[in-house]
Amino acid sequence: MASSSMKRDPALVPVVAALWLALGVFIIYPFVRLLAVTFSSEDGGFSFENLAVVFSNSYDRLALVNSIWLAIAVAVMGTALGFCFAFAVVRIKMPAPLRWFISAVTVLPLISPPFTSSIALTLSLGPNGILLNLLGIPDFNIYGFWGTWMSESLTYFPVAFLTISSVLACIDPNFEDAGLSLGGSPFRVFRTVTLPLTMPAVANSILLLFACSLADFATPLVLAGHQFPVLPTQAYLQITGLYDLRGGAALSFALLVPALFVFFVQRWWVGRKSYVTVSGKSGAQTKPKGIGAAAETVILGVCAVVIAFIVFLYALITIGAFTKTWGLDNSFTLDSFAYVFNHGRKAIVDTLIIACVSTPIGGLIAVLVAYITQRKSFPCNALMEIVSLLNFALPGTVVGIAYVIAFNTSPLILTGTMSILVAAYVFRYDSAGIRSVIASLQQIDTSLEEASLSLGASSAATFRNVTLPLVVPALLAGMKYLFIHSMTAISATIFLVSVSWSLLTARILECMTELQFGNACAFSVVLIILVFIFNGLLTLLVRAAGFGYRGQGGN
Amino acid sequence: MRRKVFAVVLSLLIASAVGAAAHAATLNAYTVMPEKYATQVFEQFTKDTGIKVNFIRFSSGEALARLNAEKKNPQVDILLGGPADVYTAGCDAGVFAEYAPKEQELTPAEYRDPGNRWTGIGLIPLCFLTNTDFLKKNGMKAPESWQDLLDPAYKNGLQMADARTSGTATERIYTLIAIYGVDGAFDYQKKLHQNIQLYTKSGAGGALPIAQGQAASGVFYLVDALDIQQQGYPVVITYPKEGVTFGIEATGIINGAKNMDEAKAFVDWATSKKLGELFLAKKINYIPVVKGLVIDNPALDMSHVKLLTVGAEHKGDKRKEYVDRWVNEVIR
Repeated sequence: MASSSMKRDPALVPVVAALWLALGVFIIYPFVRLLAVTFSSEDGGFSFENLAVVFSNSYDRLALVNSIWLAIAVAVMGTALGFCFAFAVVRIKMPAPLRWFISAVTVLPLISPPFTSSIALTLSLGPNGILLNLLGIPDFNIYGFWGTWMSESLTYFPVAFLTISSVLACIDPNFEDAGLSLGGSPFRVFRTVTLPLTMPAVANSILLLFACSLADFATPLVLAGHQFPVLPTQAYLQITGLYDLRGGAALSFALLVPALFVFFVQRWWVGRKSYVTVSGKSGAQTKPKGIGAAAETVILGVCAVVIAFIVFLYALITIGAFTKTWGLDNSFTLDSFAYVFNHGRKAIVDTLIIACVSTPIGGLIAVLVAYITQRKSFPCNALMEIVSLLNFALPGTVVGIAYVIAFNTSPLILTGTMSILVAAYVFRYDSAGIRSVIASLQQIDTSLEEASLSLGASSAATFRNVTLPLVVPALLAGMKYLFIHSMTAISATIFLVSVSWSLLTARILECMTELQFGNACAFSVVLIILVFIFNGLLTLLVRAAGFGYRGQGGN
Repeated sequence: MRRKVFAVVLSLLIASAVGAAAHAATLNAYTVMPEKYATQVFEQFTKDTGIKVNFIRFSSGEALARLNAEKKNPQVDILLGGPADVYTAGCDAGVFAEYAPKEQELTPAEYRDPGNRWTGIGLIPLCFLTNTDFLKKNGMKAPESWQDLLDPAYKNGLQMADARTSGTATERIYTLIAIYGVDGAFDYQKKLHQNIQLYTKSGAGGALPIAQGQAASGVFYLVDALDIQQQGYPVVITYPKEGVTFGIEATGIINGAKNMDEAKAFVDWATSKKLGELFLAKKINYIPVVKGLVIDNPALDMSHVKLLTVGAEHKGDKRKEYVDRWVNEVIR
């Protein structure tokens, strides 16, 4: 079994070897260097001392428990919201501009750096907040669990939306027709046919959101306060505040356990059942069916409330970008944008270059990893899938520090270069691409590929002509996610930005900590517009490249 | 075809990246000074010397963490700004190189490292920053004693820095220890904690919320407090009668700097009168330490403020111990 692919596809062996080399250098090697730090005492010997310190400390234990609860709450809420939005966009009849508007608003929280929405949330629901005053609520403490949960759910539900909508769009309505013609009510058909078919996407979404929340440090840094410590923030504070790399490494090590646990649960859950819906055997497709007026009203209602809130938050940021002094002198000004274009040009150009280089590399790796692990039987395939997700499970600040430790000395000196930023993005954020391609491969019947192979086509030709066109929507969603993160991520790169390569998000955080609220807002607005433009270009590019593009996925 | 286009685009991108990285003799710097100040400082330096500067800004903890991690292959030549205790901690780790600036005697000996690894460029005392609307509404006077901050009226109303990341916060601890002794200082902070709404990551982080009335008051470095006041917000700056300590803002050369000549040129320039004059001219609110300057800004006049002195060496040695104690006794 293990060697069958090696014999059948000798052409793929160098590809697999190259993948392992890349994963080895950019994931395993820094991770091993990090472990070496975690398990070494001050004098360099092997020791459990650092971990023991973490678990003997009640504040750090509380942080571990908090992290897990928060991640569960965010995964559930984010996936529920993502499902509502995906269902609304893909399955509910509405005018095309409205559909476009919903998709666009959904992506907003994702394409702005997380602390931007955190700050907007603080301004509206924080002490003396605009919304609180408006609603006449006197005493609501946003700092702690509730604020962090709200901000992270809003920030990450678009990930669930992208994952679920691409799969929902691919479900053949004939299945639902079958249910309806057997006399099931629309809602019953939804519950017993549609919902189970989207389970791989839902499971992937829960996994992704759990990992996102578990590793997020920017949101808790702004909103969690001291009452609600979480591990990534603790690790960050330990490293940057107390200059304690060992302690920080030990705290992050503690994070790995829940992340890997959820990963295995998800594999086991999805792995047991078949979710083949794209079989190539269906007849003409019919129109998707509704699920009944009542259920649709509920879904649309949820979407409307969330959209109104998001629009409100981002209106605050836009207004802030054009306001002289927030909350004091509300007159209109373009000063902030003048500042951005005078002092931020380098950061804008650098960020764009890095994102444009990372995205195609990440797309290529996502397809290769997903295809090889799902469709081929090379040795250690399961390990490859796990390794490819490892950096995503680790908090970004720790990946950043691990990269600095690993790549600042020979044999590979990369600190201060563009390569280290590209590598950090590709190997940290590509997991979304890999997960969504895997989810979409799990839906495609292998008989389609077997047909091509038995007709004499090579593995490569089959992949190019049969598999690739079918996974393009998922790949596109994954690449967009990677591109967006290359534009907006902060945690992994806060240690990797250098005097030669500066990034927009680092500049925004700068402006935030330097009280230049208007400039921070203007930077955010520019960033959001840039991502929108390049997102559109990416879609056009893939269409122009001639791949058929089915479904609504990844809009 | 597709692949060719892609390859060309990619190689162009990589070429431009390599091109951008290779430049003529320049100075690379980390700065802890806010970006808007650092820009002016480095622009003036370039004007005076012709040396181009690439720089990036970090909080003092981040900067030191990076300098430590990059020790074997330093990415920058100098560090600008940041309190002296960070430099002391860096000296222990071997991060800073020895260099006696040309006009060293212009800086009083107590504001520079006896081993010549850093030199002070400005002083920043702590102060209270309070929202005046809050005071009016509650019929209160601005706090003039550390004890005033314990007033229940401030309950859930104070924002100040987290000791784990911020030099401002550790300065606060040094001040309290100078006044109340070590145990007394931590007892005081436990009481103060009852009124805290949020500990912020950066020293300046709480200033904007106070300016906007989201929080009532807090403890800040003067440079951050003056900055927000100069933006026109309704805030008042006061000093406690028991006194405050002050940070020595410093600069130093990184061990193994790749542009050593330029680094020396910068430290010579920064410790001459030129930087002090720039501070005063541009309202960059560090109180210059260089001898022979006339300080005419009343906000920087410290004659009515009780300034307490704690040695930078002592701050560097005790920092971790105090921060650990703050985490274990105060915030949980």
